[in-house]
Amino acid sequence: MKWRRILLNFRVIVLIFFLLISITALATRGLTFGLDISGGISITVKLEKPVDSQTMEQVKIALEQRLNTLGVKNIVVEPWGDQFVIVKVANVTEEEADQLIKTIERQGVFYAEFQGIIFATGKDILNVGSVSYDPQHSAWVVPFRLSKEAAEKFAQLALGKAGYPVDMFLDPPVNSTLVVSNRVYEAMLSKTFMLEGDMTLVERIEKAFGIKVVPYANVTPEEIAEIAKGSERIILLDVDGNLSKALKEMGFEVETRSMRSDEDVYDFIKRSLGLYGPYRVSEGLATGNPSTEVMISITAPKTDIQARQDAQVVSVVLRSGSLPVKLSIERIDYISPKLGENFKRQVLVAGIAALLVVGLIVFLHYRKIKIAIPVMFTSFSEVLIILGIAALIRWNLDLPSIAGIIAAIGTGVDQQIVITDELLGEEESRRRVKRSGVLRRMGRAFFIILASATTTIVAMSFLFKFFVGGLRGFAFTTILGVLVGIFITRPAYGEIAKVLIGERR
Amino acid sequence: MPEVDNVIKEKLKLLVEMDPKKMIIYPLIVFGIAIIIIIANYVMTGSFVKEGIELRGGSVITLQGVNVSPDEIAKSIKEKTGIDVTVEKFSGVGGSGVRVYVSAGDDVNLVREALKEMFPDVEPQTVVIGPTFGEIVREQGIKAIVYAFIGMAIVVFLFFRVPVPSMTVVFSAFSDMIIAIALMNIFGIELSQATIAALLMLIGYSVDSNILLTTRLLRRKEFTVEEAYYSSLKTGFTMSTTTLGALASLWIFSTAQVIDDIASVLIFGLLADFMNTWILNAGVLRLYIAKREGKE
Repeated sequence: MKWRRILLNFRVIVLIFFLLISITALATRGLTFGLDISGGISITVKLEKPVDSQTMEQVKIALEQRLNTLGVKNIVVEPWGDQFVIVKVANVTEEEADQLIKTIERQGVFYAEFQGIIFATGKDILNVGSVSYDPQHSAWVVPFRLSKEAAEKFAQLALGKAGYPVDMFLDPPVNSTLVVSNRVYEAMLSKTFMLEGDMTLVERIEKAFGIKVVPYANVTPEEIAEIAKGSERIILLDVDGNLSKALKEMGFEVETRSMRSDEDVYDFIKRSLGLYGPYRVSEGLATGNPSTEVMISITAPKTDIQARQDAQVVSVVLRSGSLPVKLSIERIDYISPKLGENFKRQVLVAGIAALLVVGLIVFLHYRKIKIAIPVMFTSFSEVLIILGIAALIRWNLDLPSIAGIIAAIGTGVDQQIVITDELLGEEESRRRVKRSGVLRRMGRAFFIILASATTTIVAMSFLFKFFVGGLRGFAFTTILGVLVGIFITRPAYGEIAKVLIGERR
Repeated sequence: MPEVDNVIKEKLKLLVEMDPKKMIIYPLIVFGIAIIIIIANYVMTGSFVKEGIELRGGSVITLQGVNVSPDEIAKSIKEKTGIDVTVEKFSGVGGSGVRVYVSAGDDVNLVREALKEMFPDVEPQTVVIGPTFGEIVREQGIKAIVYAFIGMAIVVFLFFRVPVPSMTVVFSAFSDMIIAIALMNIFGIELSQATIAALLMLIGYSVDSNILLTTRLLRRKEFTVEEAYYSSLKTGFTMSTTTLGALASLWIFSTAQVIDDIASVLIFGLLADFMNTWILNAGVLRLYIAKREGKE
């Protein structure tokens, strides 16, 4: 009978309902862990001054473009407030982490190149207009203004060369030797990069940046070493790792890039070189008359979102030689994936130990298993529901978040004790004084709970609002835990305890 | 164990018989001592509480599972790189290791490479923090604590609507934080984002027990003040011991510094809170109720 009375209660049904949802969420979506647990690097970048959301978006795109040339997977660039950007990458090796840091520390370097000659750098791009659609030519266009010197230089170079390719680069691998697979090499020599010009991409980048390209076929590491003499580093494109080891042993700085599943060989080459383009020189620009007002157009229907995005990227790249704000790295957290695994286990053990200790202490105080078990069950449900909600909204569980859950459980147990004692006290008083309603007693318990929950939520909201760092996780889970407590688990515990403690009569 | 529990609860009865004026004086003395410790720290070091690298700037490299004496590590890093580092050992049930602290101006990468040579199999965990970032964290921390405190005070006043008990609750929370900070100074726990969060969390915890006591005493109908106080005291004792138990197991089982720091500051605060709620606040409330009922 007792069980029936417990289970058929509305508040207990609500609790069970949420438990089921949480278990389903955990089983289907799983938990996502923060970098401090799953391993990875988080780099906090500060902007020299606060910026508006548009500039922030530019900074974000510029950083993404530049970091993407490194070939590291899944880079997340997250603006935080109006002055910070957090770059997060899961599962990186220390070397990759170093490259990311170096790239962010360096200002982006922009080059515009034609026929192997650099005719403009970042400082020659004076003004970049906003991306718009030109219905006349059915193309997305990015207008910009070139400096007078650059415009004159280009006019001379491009005289009579309509249809030739113009390339733009952001952070190209200057002074390096590229060892490439056959398919990459062939693509680099293809028409896609040559357009109607007479120099291949390989020739152009060698002349402009001293980048030597070696196809990896029938060459020994020693021969590559001979070619690479004088290069700052060797980059392997689409070439397996054994070569990298051999070259490293000879004292070279070696980086390896491989193709992603979502890109073709052309995109891969562009990404590795930091190349944007090539763009075809229009008839109007090949007349020998310098023009400072020029534009890049991407022919595509207006509905083509990809083309619009490409245009957006080009406009940021044009600006990025002179990003509107300076960046500085303010904080780096690196943790190896193996270490994170260890933390996860520790937290699990600590959590279970905490739960058992709570159960034991509660038992020692009341010496009733009837109280200890529901208290433990309620706390356990609370953890489960918090985790379930975290899984549902894909909250990144980092160490501070987990500490927050534990803190919430701590206050949760406190409040269950308040309820228990109010109920036990009622038993006593009933014997001594005339009947005072259960409802009033429970009301008092819930007044205490509501007052303290409100204060905790108020205190934690400030933490959530004001902090840049990971402590927002702590605030978030604490608030979540308190809410789950007052609306779901505590009312259910009250009902269960009422039945179990009242039973004695 | 149950006997021990009973003995303690008997001891708690002593508090019920204590003179309310004395109950107010002892916690105030402890509060005074805590203030003196904090001021002494300020005079000696220039800051009220030792600031961690998150606030000062600098780097820390954590190596788990390394069992070499800290002095030896510091010495060989000095030999290899010429950089002075501070090395600290830590241990817990989950494992032990060392933390290597590098000051803001020095090259972390050099130190990291030297450490890699010494312990090639250990995967390091590195945190590097710029000095201006520390400035921001400090500013945010102070802001968060001040606002949270004001918010808490407003909520407490709204719930009780009587000035003396409300002010005592607010003062108790303040004293909890001050005593926790003094204990941080004594035990060498540094101020970091994690410990700032723990101090904020203390506001929540201390208000919890104080609201319990205040509600029980002010809204009691059928009991005497002493009876109501004793029954709340027992509840409070149960509450504090369970929370302390949970925090202690957290502290014992984790080697993550964030969690260790939060757990220890909360333990300090809860100990202070037990005193401030059940002795100081109880004393004030008993005087207040006696006076109020005397008038009636």
